[in-house]
Amino acid sequence: MISNALAKEVLNAALATGGDYAEIYLEQSDVESIVLDSGKIETVGTRQGYGAGIRILQKFRSVYGYTSDLSKKSLIKLATDLSASFEGERQIEVKNITKGKFKNVNPIKTHLMDVSADTRIAYLKECYEATKSVDPRIVRIQDALNFWKKNIRIYVAENENAKVFDTVEERGRLVMVAIAAGENNSIETSFEGPGASNGWEYFQSLDHKAKAIEVGKKAIALLSAKECPSGQFTVVIANGWGGVLFHEACGHPLEATATAKGLSVFSNSIGKQIASPIVSAWDDGTIENAWGSNSIDTEGVPTKKNELIRDGICVGFMVDRFNGRRLNMAPNGTARRESYKYAPTSRMSNTYIAAGKDNPEDIIKDTKLGIYVANFGGGSVEPTTGQFNFSASEAYIIRDGKICEMVKGCTLIGTGQEVLMNIDRVGNDLALGQGNCGSASGSIPVNVGQPTIRLSKITVGGRGGELK
Amino acid sequence: MNFDKFFQLAKEAGITESQIQIGRSTSTSIDLFHHEIENYSVNSSQSVIACGIYNGKFGSARTEKLDKDTFPYLINKIILAASKIEKEDAQPLFEGSNKYHKKNVFNAELEAIPLSKKLEDLKKLENLVYEQDKRVNEVEAGFAEISTASEFYNSHGLKLKQKRNYYYFSAYAVANDGKESKTNYEAFLESDYSKLNLEEMAKKVVTGAIAKFGGDTIESKKYPTVLRYDICSAFISAFLSSTIADEVQRHSSLLEGKLNTKVASSKLTIEEKPLVKNIFFTYFDDEGVATYNKAIVKNGVLKTYLYNRETAAKDGVESTGNGAWEGSKIGTSYNSIYVKPGKQSFEELIAPIEDGVYITDIMGLGTGMNTRSGDFSCQAEGFRIRNGKLAEPLNLITLSGNLLKMFKDLKGFSKEAKMTLGGTCLADAYIKSMNIGGK
Repeated sequence: MISNALAKEVLNAALATGGDYAEIYLEQSDVESIVLDSGKIETVGTRQGYGAGIRILQKFRSVYGYTSDLSKKSLIKLATDLSASFEGERQIEVKNITKGKFKNVNPIKTHLMDVSADTRIAYLKECYEATKSVDPRIVRIQDALNFWKKNIRIYVAENENAKVFDTVEERGRLVMVAIAAGENNSIETSFEGPGASNGWEYFQSLDHKAKAIEVGKKAIALLSAKECPSGQFTVVIANGWGGVLFHEACGHPLEATATAKGLSVFSNSIGKQIASPIVSAWDDGTIENAWGSNSIDTEGVPTKKNELIRDGICVGFMVDRFNGRRLNMAPNGTARRESYKYAPTSRMSNTYIAAGKDNPEDIIKDTKLGIYVANFGGGSVEPTTGQFNFSASEAYIIRDGKICEMVKGCTLIGTGQEVLMNIDRVGNDLALGQGNCGSASGSIPVNVGQPTIRLSKITVGGRGGELK
Repeated sequence: MNFDKFFQLAKEAGITESQIQIGRSTSTSIDLFHHEIENYSVNSSQSVIACGIYNGKFGSARTEKLDKDTFPYLINKIILAASKIEKEDAQPLFEGSNKYHKKNVFNAELEAIPLSKKLEDLKKLENLVYEQDKRVNEVEAGFAEISTASEFYNSHGLKLKQKRNYYYFSAYAVANDGKESKTNYEAFLESDYSKLNLEEMAKKVVTGAIAKFGGDTIESKKYPTVLRYDICSAFISAFLSSTIADEVQRHSSLLEGKLNTKVASSKLTIEEKPLVKNIFFTYFDDEGVATYNKAIVKNGVLKTYLYNRETAAKDGVESTGNGAWEGSKIGTSYNSIYVKPGKQSFEELIAPIEDGVYITDIMGLGTGMNTRSGDFSCQAEGFRIRNGKLAEPLNLITLSGNLLKMFKDLKGFSKEAKMTLGGTCLADAYIKSMNIGGK
């Protein structure tokens, strides 16, 4: 995208006033999206992103700027403008730029962008037919295949020997939505969105028709679901996407973005018990071809498997270079950003509660009265207070150890501190689910995950009155 | 860029009509932490979005890379998209409205104020927040100034331009009373710098945080509920998404078949006023159609759906000037919403409530709202209302219900309408009864 010679000039312009670190993040991205609405091709979209972000650090100060003009004049001007906010003497003069090394964690056989539009369309039509076959009450079906390819180059200067990292991020996601209409104008929606940092082989191995049928069945089931009761109950949460609870309630407060400034409920928690002793948790950006995996992060640090909680004790945070300075902790490959329009900060990749010992069926069997949350719509958290909320998209009543009728309109609320302590059973069926997480550095792909877990009690909001 | 060249190349490639829009934006932002500049950012970006009609079908593409290859790239992608699309034939592109209500909303004075003055004010804001109360232990204060310009051209010779600029100050306060931490956030968005009132902002953010100390949950049942204006605006947005004609035509709107019928309490009047001279002012939409002010709901009666040119043609009406890019197609959006306020002050509004709830914060409505059925459930915070007055704080409660039922149960608004950051001007709303979940 730019030559090493120009990068050297830009880095040196950025470091002219005493910066102790400078970085250029360059990106050219292509997004291709094919959307079917009720079986017909609605849009074939392409979008090209292009630009550079320059960051300079000096101790606990950070300056960042971006531009979509990658000419020499524009980049030098941006670097000079940014460096003008520091008033010191030059500390670093970049003399050499060498290639940074890292391992590719996302091997790909068939590149997504090489798959013809016709092949993608045929695949989506199979999804549509499968969902449609479920029930005539399904009134609208949306199917989409979204492919991303990002060519990224990062220059990192911490001393006279700068490094350059070239990486390509490729991702694909299938999105399926079914809308069912029932009596009294009731309308229900269900959604599935499997994705991976992988090639077309991922989509070929996915049983897309079976998933499409599931989406249809779920929308139909919701039509007859009763309203969820409200109050404080025992709640069993299914594996996979159920891990969004950990993501929101515990993952975000364990990001250095929150912990470094003392703004998180888990600031200063290293070595302290923050969860029930049966809970261990990880953030692992290196899972091969996983939706949230990258070979390096967006400040050029190779991704790692980072341990966050061991037997209930907090043992680590997700740490980026800048916030790591306040914490006196080394960056651990978790600095992520949506695009060059965002400065990087510590974010989750594939974050999960580790598998425990319980058989998931036993967890249900041992629950006399409660709620089984099979799937969540999503949620959010306020890291300073730890308060979170999740809305369940699929939930059932548990009565006498059995999963009974489906309920809708169910929200779980609480604080991260409380919920971690209230986990009293952890299953052995760890699975991951795909989502997009929006936070300080934009919207990024993440996997959430967990085995089946049980919360001894949590506040449930719904319109169905008492739990009986 | 020479757009005539684009139209010519597109025509040569078989694109009979074409449109191109360019957006440019620059911004500067500063964040303070512990009295130091923690983040400083200067940005500039540009992007082009183009669309056209090829063999009767619509195709579009967008890019941020502006060089000699930009036009061929856009043209190829438009042709690829149009060749695959299976929708019925596209509308011809727009030839222009009879009249456009152009106004200048770019404030050159704002640009002329030196950054050093804005930084000084930001530091003042941070200090003021700390000074409000000893229990304030962390503050994040931020400033940003944004300037955007958009240009619209099509092969029918339509040329439209608009630019705007604005600034915002934000303050996030964390207060701790030794037992618990409470937070609050305030932001102020304007283009007129003389309207900035740092003292008021600091006071509001801290008062809001302190008032939350000692909060508890509440017994689950139905309560008379008052929604603070910004909370109510989230429900207004969800309601407006059902007025979009595309949703109606696809049978996925709550408001299908309800035009000119009563869909809410007679206290509800919602207008779209894109021509009010404020930072949300817009005089043309993404199809080049002139925008205009209109009532969407008047005294509880649904007066119009919101149309772009395609959905308008389907219903045999004119576009309401609400065409807006949605990914790779022209969808529908709205700007500058005004909800008619009531006549009572906030104190008068809550005076008749013996035992109720005042909601000041919600979380999770985005995922907790089924916009198609109108059912919602989300986390909330606020205050108990006892004997007509605000009482103890409430937290970790849930608010649930159905959107249409809620607006039918609307008893009225207070008279103090305020503009939200998202461009909805409204006052606090009193709902006869809502489901509150707690213990």
